[in-house]
Amino acid sequence: MAEMWITMGPQHPMTHGLWTLRVKVDGETVTDTEAELGYIHRGVEKICESRDFTQITPYCDRLCYVSAMTWAHSYVMAAEDLLEAEVPERAEYIRLMAAEVQRLASHLMWLGAFGPDIGNLTLMTWCLRDREMFLDLLQELGGSRMHYNYPRVGGVKRDIPIGWANRLKAKVKLFENRIKEYEMLLDESTIWLVRLQGVGYATAEDQIDAGVTGPNIRAAGVNADARWTNPYSVYDQVDWEPAVEKPTSVKGADCYDRYRVRMEEMRQSCRMLLDAIEKIPGGANTHYQPGDEMLITKAPTRAPEGATGFSTYECTRGVSNFYLQGGGDGRGKNPYRVSIRSPMFITIPYVAKTMIGYKVADIPAIMGSFDPCIGETDR
Amino acid sequence: MGTTITKEQNTAAAQAAADNLAERFADAGITIEILAHSAGKKFDFVRITCSPDQWRAVAKHLKHELGVNHCAMVTGTHYPDGGADRGWEVAYHLHRWPIKNVEAHTMTVHEGESLEGDDIPMEFEIFIPLAAGDSPSVPSVQDIWVGADWNEKETWDLVGIDFEGHENMHRVLNPHDSPTGFHPLQRQHKIRYHDFNEMYDDPQGFDRKPVDEGRVK
Repeated sequence: MAEMWITMGPQHPMTHGLWTLRVKVDGETVTDTEAELGYIHRGVEKICESRDFTQITPYCDRLCYVSAMTWAHSYVMAAEDLLEAEVPERAEYIRLMAAEVQRLASHLMWLGAFGPDIGNLTLMTWCLRDREMFLDLLQELGGSRMHYNYPRVGGVKRDIPIGWANRLKAKVKLFENRIKEYEMLLDESTIWLVRLQGVGYATAEDQIDAGVTGPNIRAAGVNADARWTNPYSVYDQVDWEPAVEKPTSVKGADCYDRYRVRMEEMRQSCRMLLDAIEKIPGGANTHYQPGDEMLITKAPTRAPEGATGFSTYECTRGVSNFYLQGGGDGRGKNPYRVSIRSPMFITIPYVAKTMIGYKVADIPAIMGSFDPCIGETDR
Repeated sequence: MGTTITKEQNTAAAQAAADNLAERFADAGITIEILAHSAGKKFDFVRITCSPDQWRAVAKHLKHELGVNHCAMVTGTHYPDGGADRGWEVAYHLHRWPIKNVEAHTMTVHEGESLEGDDIPMEFEIFIPLAAGDSPSVPSVQDIWVGADWNEKETWDLVGIDFEGHENMHRVLNPHDSPTGFHPLQRQHKIRYHDFNEMYDDPQGFDRKPVDEGRVK
């Protein structure tokens, strides 16, 4: 049969954003693919060169509006490495909790968007309902629903409000039960299983060689997680274990495994949150004023020439890295260079190639199961 | 408690990796340092400074002898005031993680504290300073780590550093019809909000040719 190229995107429900997947098909079978990115390239790296270290944080929030807190956290870690700032332990606990609440919200957004891909519209409404609980918690910290500008170089902007811990506990406990509801809705749905099982295989070694990280690689049976391999914050002090899934084939993890591993990851985040709220130094229902030494230490504002800062961070979609270079006196308070690694920028071209051999109808399932986010991809 | 890598394991692994590299590249004039981060857990990492000619040999050694399996990021930087020897620099950031394929219906659950030898995660930073000039170039490692592929594309697209031997190089973040030689992270380009003559010499676009003209779409 004659082969032809089909263009999916930039406006297509499968894309979860704005990019183009060009698919070469032979009948219903995909024989070649090509990803085209860059539709929402904003030049964040260039803009950051003319901003000082504090002003960069809001730009990092906007790298991915679904997980702003983790991106800002990743950036401030690199800035702390560059500027040699210490972070108080209470601030580390608050950052950990904020990042894990964000992880829950982000995974819920993923699940909510993934459901309609597979033909389950109910899921969208359920997930957004629950995500709102966590966005409310983050709003109390940062002041807005999505772009928080909350972490600071050397600490956090302000303390958790009085009563936040109790609301967090109540919501997390409620949500732990909701996860069971999701599983009843999905794991017993024939459509869900038929669409996800046996498609989109990816092995662990192939993925790490191609640069794919995060939940996608843990679905392939290895518990590699930057929260313990490159430890940061206080993840070694709270109760959790990396979510990992047994792949169902020698060919690696399929879409169903990637769905399962994110459900398990949400459980682990809940477990971490409930433990962290008990262990936080100073107590969860104490409120320190902004600028208190429990929350933030004074960090230098200028970086010497030749100094570098690097962070490795387990973002919700994989490992994100920031690499900063100091510029010395000539640059004032600005960095000389800011470089950002987005996990999805590497993952999307890889996923495009894993689709070869499957049917056109499997494309949304495969693409959605890797959790694409175009904001961070294009930067 | 969450599992974790301890500082002792990290220090030992950094030392072992640096010794291994120093032995292999003893007389090659490659700088190998062990440095520590000043944030987080203040872990050590290995920084290698080498010339473009040595880079592929270093990369192969890292991949095949030291088990470095993840090319995290590639950063190009332009130093117009950096002098004749350092007009540009490419930084590769690599990771080693204990990731192996598993049999069906099994999984590998590492205990961080009990990892040994080459299984201990380690971070490598490779600096490749390039001479000043209009055509900075380093050998590509696209065939060594698949993950370097799009990172190198991005570095060429934004910074304008050529990767010798890189197949299928094309624009990834800039529009595919950006003029040849336009790489926005070079320092001569200033951020201008209302004057796009800065971006294109030919704002009307009459003479613009896509750099990937003729490529199969």
